[in-house]
Amino acid sequence: MKRRMLVLEDGNVFKGYGFGSEKETIGEVVFNTGMTGYQESITDQSYNGQLLTFTYPLIGNAGINRDDYESIFPTIKAVIVKEFARVPSNWRSQMNLDECLKEKGIPGLTGVDTRRLTRVIREHGAMKALLTDTDSSIEECLQRVRSKKLPTNQVAQVSTTRPYVSPQNGRKVVVIDFGLKHSILHELNKRACHVMVLPFDTSAETILNLNPDGVMLTNGPGDPTDLPDVIEMIKELQPQIPIFGICLGHQLLALANGAKTYKMDFGHRGFNHPVREIATGKIAFTSQNHGYAVAADSVDPKRLSVTHVEINDGTVEGLKHRAYPVFSVQYHPDAAPGPHDAADLFDQFIEVMDAQKAGMIHA
Amino acid sequence: MEKQVQEIELMNEEAVKRALTRITYEIIEKNKGVEDLVILGIKTRGVYLAHRIAQRMEQLEGRPVEVAELDISNYRDDQQSLASAHKPDLNCTVQGKKVVIVDDVLYTGRTIRAALDAIIDQGRPKRIYLAVLIDRGHRELPIRADFIGKNIPTSSEEDIKVSLTDIDEKDRVTIHKPTQ
Repeated sequence: MKRRMLVLEDGNVFKGYGFGSEKETIGEVVFNTGMTGYQESITDQSYNGQLLTFTYPLIGNAGINRDDYESIFPTIKAVIVKEFARVPSNWRSQMNLDECLKEKGIPGLTGVDTRRLTRVIREHGAMKALLTDTDSSIEECLQRVRSKKLPTNQVAQVSTTRPYVSPQNGRKVVVIDFGLKHSILHELNKRACHVMVLPFDTSAETILNLNPDGVMLTNGPGDPTDLPDVIEMIKELQPQIPIFGICLGHQLLALANGAKTYKMDFGHRGFNHPVREIATGKIAFTSQNHGYAVAADSVDPKRLSVTHVEINDGTVEGLKHRAYPVFSVQYHPDAAPGPHDAADLFDQFIEVMDAQKAGMIHA
Repeated sequence: MEKQVQEIELMNEEAVKRALTRITYEIIEKNKGVEDLVILGIKTRGVYLAHRIAQRMEQLEGRPVEVAELDISNYRDDQQSLASAHKPDLNCTVQGKKVVIVDDVLYTGRTIRAALDAIIDQGRPKRIYLAVLIDRGHRELPIRADFIGKNIPTSSEEDIKVSLTDIDEKDRVTIHKPTQ
């Protein structure tokens, strides 16, 4: 195996061995604490432009199967592991992680101390890093990392360019694709929703002309403040139609209602984040992947209520509009991968759409 | 021939919890907050539901919400009434308030009619809302709910039963259909 290294913006260097694609790559290095679900994570478009470190020491032991992809063409920059399984063992496995990354053109780095790397990220915050061959000069690499400007059009890179339909007989739901995970479509289809997936830059008028029962704002990569047009679109939609936002969709909904977002030091990426539903006091373990969050003190209590909070650090994890049937969560209720505690948020969305419909008939 | 009854679960514990949370959000939406709200539960199960809704509101809004029980037995239209003689004691004032009547099942609407009489005997609320966990249709009076947990179209032979942990084994809603 080829010797390769990861050069961090702050001067830290991690040497290991390359696997997967042999490309050189620069991006933001982040870590995920999940013990499983690597296939879903690697193909999750919310990791667009990021080098993903798994803190769990052995990744790939169940191989890669045909069911767990969250996107067809993943845009993650690299996968960093302590060790990857060359020989997977699972009845669904079709190939090992190395073969998958080669096929998808994603470079991997193995044999590095992911615990130390994680500690560095936790101390300094998520930072830029370069994955390259060890024969390059470190000074030169550092210069390249530091001078690299990361792209801000990440949603445009991963959103669908053309609208498409995921048909079912039932409620009509528009899904605005900011980098959606296939499991969102699964969850909606399972509940008999006829899903129309539209590009992120669709206008409010186009959406309303489709007469949907509800609109879903998906997860996605990057900084929500890079999408001012989407925020305007949400402002126009929310008085007229039930909206359910998750992850990036949650942040956009917050921005559309006067709240502010900020970049977290090292984000929430993992499947064991406890979240309290304020109304009932019930705690759910949730699957999360976000590097930005809604600032709690910026939430205007006349426009939004905070409905969910993260227990460890108090991050705003759920919002509800005060006047409209519009709500959102920061975590991933589709739970792919992760615990299924929060899957009933999709049922809640269905019930909100039905209640809205019934209400319109009465009024 | 013995009459057999088939029981089907329409809502489980999760669904009941979700419906009450949604109703809470909807009340806040419609009322633009919890200002001047009084939540009135109709005995028996409406009282427990009223407390659950009020508790959710308090946790969300961070301030207490008034809850009271409403006993409508003296206002029923199917028995010789002593209504004027026995006004129920609400332990709260409804004068100028926004009242939310809470009940488990909305059926003929006669219970709600009685509740409206009982409330108006106590004062003149600014507004009265109706929240029910189940609307099963078959109204005999021009009454409808503002907040509904679930609409369940039924036939009049069927029976809807709401169970709540406060007095029953668990939270659930079942429909009981007679079969031949």
